[in-house]
Amino acid sequence: MTSPAPTGNGHTNGQTNGQTGWNAMLARVGFIELDARARAAALLDDGTARELCGPFDRIESPWLEPQDVVPASDDGVVVVRGRLDGRPAVVIAIEQAFQGGGIGEVSGVKIAASLSLAARDTREGAPTVAVLLLETGGVRLQEANLGLATVAEVCSALLELRALQPVVGVIAGSMGCFGGMSIAAGLCSTLIMTREGRLGLNGPQVIESEAGVAEFDASDPTLIWAIDGGAQRTGTGLADVLVLDDVAAVRSAVIEAAGRGAPGEHRSRRLRESRTRLDAVDPADPPEPADLAAVWARAVPAEGDRR
Amino acid sequence: MTASRGPTRAAARDWTRRRTAKRERLEAVRPFVSGRVLDAGRMRDALHALLRPGDRVALEGDNQKQADFLAGALADCDPDVVHDLHLLISSISLREHLDVFERGVARRLDFAYAGPQSVRMAQLLADGTVDVGAIHTYVELYARMFVDLTPDVALLCAEQADHEGNLYTGPGTEDTPTIAEAAAFRGGVVLVQVNRLVDRVPRVDIPGDWVDLVVESPRPYALEPLFTRDPRHIGQVDILMAMLALRGIYERHGVTTLNHGIGYDTAAIELILPTYGERLGLRGKICRHWTLNPHPTLIPAIESGWVESVHCFGGEPGTERYVAARPDVFFTGPDGSLRSNRVLCQLAGQYAVDMFIGSSLQIDADANSSTVTEGRLTGFGGAPNMGHDPHGRRHASPAWLSLLTGEAPALRGRKLVVQITQTFRSGGTPAFVESLDAVQVAEDAGMPIPPIMIYGDDVSHVVTEEGVAYLHKATSLADRREALAAVAGATPIGSHMKERHVEALRRDGLVALPEDLGVDVRAAKRSLLAARSVEDLVAWSGGLYDPPARFRTW
Repeated sequence: MTSPAPTGNGHTNGQTNGQTGWNAMLARVGFIELDARARAAALLDDGTARELCGPFDRIESPWLEPQDVVPASDDGVVVVRGRLDGRPAVVIAIEQAFQGGGIGEVSGVKIAASLSLAARDTREGAPTVAVLLLETGGVRLQEANLGLATVAEVCSALLELRALQPVVGVIAGSMGCFGGMSIAAGLCSTLIMTREGRLGLNGPQVIESEAGVAEFDASDPTLIWAIDGGAQRTGTGLADVLVLDDVAAVRSAVIEAAGRGAPGEHRSRRLRESRTRLDAVDPADPPEPADLAAVWARAVPAEGDRR
Repeated sequence: MTASRGPTRAAARDWTRRRTAKRERLEAVRPFVSGRVLDAGRMRDALHALLRPGDRVALEGDNQKQADFLAGALADCDPDVVHDLHLLISSISLREHLDVFERGVARRLDFAYAGPQSVRMAQLLADGTVDVGAIHTYVELYARMFVDLTPDVALLCAEQADHEGNLYTGPGTEDTPTIAEAAAFRGGVVLVQVNRLVDRVPRVDIPGDWVDLVVESPRPYALEPLFTRDPRHIGQVDILMAMLALRGIYERHGVTTLNHGIGYDTAAIELILPTYGERLGLRGKICRHWTLNPHPTLIPAIESGWVESVHCFGGEPGTERYVAARPDVFFTGPDGSLRSNRVLCQLAGQYAVDMFIGSSLQIDADANSSTVTEGRLTGFGGAPNMGHDPHGRRHASPAWLSLLTGEAPALRGRKLVVQITQTFRSGGTPAFVESLDAVQVAEDAGMPIPPIMIYGDDVSHVVTEEGVAYLHKATSLADRREALAAVAGATPIGSHMKERHVEALRRDGLVALPEDLGVDVRAAKRSLLAARSVEDLVAWSGGLYDPPARFRTW
């Protein structure tokens, strides 16, 4: 009936190893607990946060009300300028509580424009780092094509900025990052996840409804996290850093990633490596999730540009 | 003359009919048995041989563990051979429990709870497929097994058995020894499905000479993690109510011995002890001795030194290693694992604890509460056993005495029976109603009395997000109703309350609002929870808690 004891795999950045005293537990402040606005503020240096296009600017989606959905005055995306360990930064946080973090026309443009403006500032001599807090099921169904188009704009702006300054992605949970925005996650200079975070192009329920329960049982959390979970994604190199769900731990991981600058070669450019990895897996007889990291390590021995 | 007649008349009565019947039954199953061990592949034939039409059969189905292999075999019996059985099942949880009736194998039913099958139960009752003797509370049903409902056959489950029939139940002892005792000592046959037959059991939970037959089930018995509450689902309102309860009841009455029901509101109380409770300086002063299952949400309070002892009704999947590592707190056997016992824990909950706190689906103006709603026949479970003031108690404690009642010299204390609920449930359904659905259900089903879970006159306190109502302080029925209405918010019960009435009730101490208790509503945040996820609970346990797969989100 019971599942095996949690293993110590993939524990980094102060992740508990089963020996943490209870005082340490009480000292932790959960990052996942926070809403998008509070997450953005928690990452930035004290007193430096300034929201752009905030709820009082009332830039709402015009498409929701006709479909009987109550719109939000920030359209579910919070953009905050400030400083990150003294460095100019913009944090773009998606609010998972609004429409499951779904991206629509307005929210998508807010993200894309923020990234473009950071690139412009950088070119004009004020280097600006961007941090994306990605809790999203992907494109908002109510705004289908417009949402898709803005996700393309987001990716394009992200590519523009990452050539100049690091773009740090954080998938803390509990929504996870799926759909079109998982492509944006894949483009980030550094991708940080918690164990509770999930990353995947198609979400478990989508796969189950399209390909059947034999392909993916979306009611099986063990399976879901074995494939999409933060520990697996960092263990297999599809994300970079695994952090504890703790405000201080997430903030220091973000600062470290911002300070590290752009990688020699972005993950999304390492095409040969990706191809070799795909070739190493037989879809008719896929490896167990726990074995995937080893299969890929054999296929692609550690290269110089791997951090 | 007369002297010689007496013995002749006495000899006409056979005093060992039950024992003889038992011998005949065991003789009949002999072809399927080696020693005490039944062949699992011939279970149906064995039951055909063992059972007689009209038998009273106790089928072990608790709210957690289920003799599911035996239930399946019973449902599979040929109704031409086995029919008109009278089943005693404490918790109707499995499809098979009702299939037995639909197939005509059984006819009459006495039970305590029908949670997962409550809709179908209501239908079968309406269709006349089942004759319900009565809906009981848990210990009430077991008590009747020793009075007028002694089983002819008991179908039970355990972890392991040896070839002498000694049983090891592991942490989930629950009701097995009680039912076995009722059958074994009055000519009943005890048949037990076990997960494993072993040469030597780790400890003897039930001695082999109470057990007639064992069968190794093809798969382990079903066990529900009924007491696991994911802290992720605890909201701010639950936390506010937890703060109000802690200050307005636990602290005020100095509650050291208690029972908690299942619910996010009581889970919130467990989780704010190490934070909010600690700040109030209450550690060691309240919540020291508990009767409840090993709730995972109690782990932070245990680890931070709040809890001295816990006695359990049953086990909880995933807590086995944690409990085994904390034998000073939990009752554990020489093998190291938890020993639970539902009936003894219920007894402890009635006579030895000062407070019961639990939530309900509906509460009426007189504080009667019920979980029966239209179209569902849920029954009671154990809440009424804990949620009443037992008049058989004589030992005093500060909390009990703080509710002093009666006229001198017949003064006595009172148990704190607390109902905690938000004024509205999800979907905007009011928790406080003018008439309980139970009243209508009773009428429709022809029950002699409405199935009320906890009687209003037993309820001493009601906690909502509005505040605490001290019903025990009311001197008249009108005052009681006013006090309850004052915390019932915008529901049909609360909406008529005038502010100046509430002021008067506050002055008289019948009602306390958050500000009266020094509770800062703005502080009711999830950051107050010592653990905010199941993963946090695992970390608190030092990796000893292994949550069931469905609760793992990492």
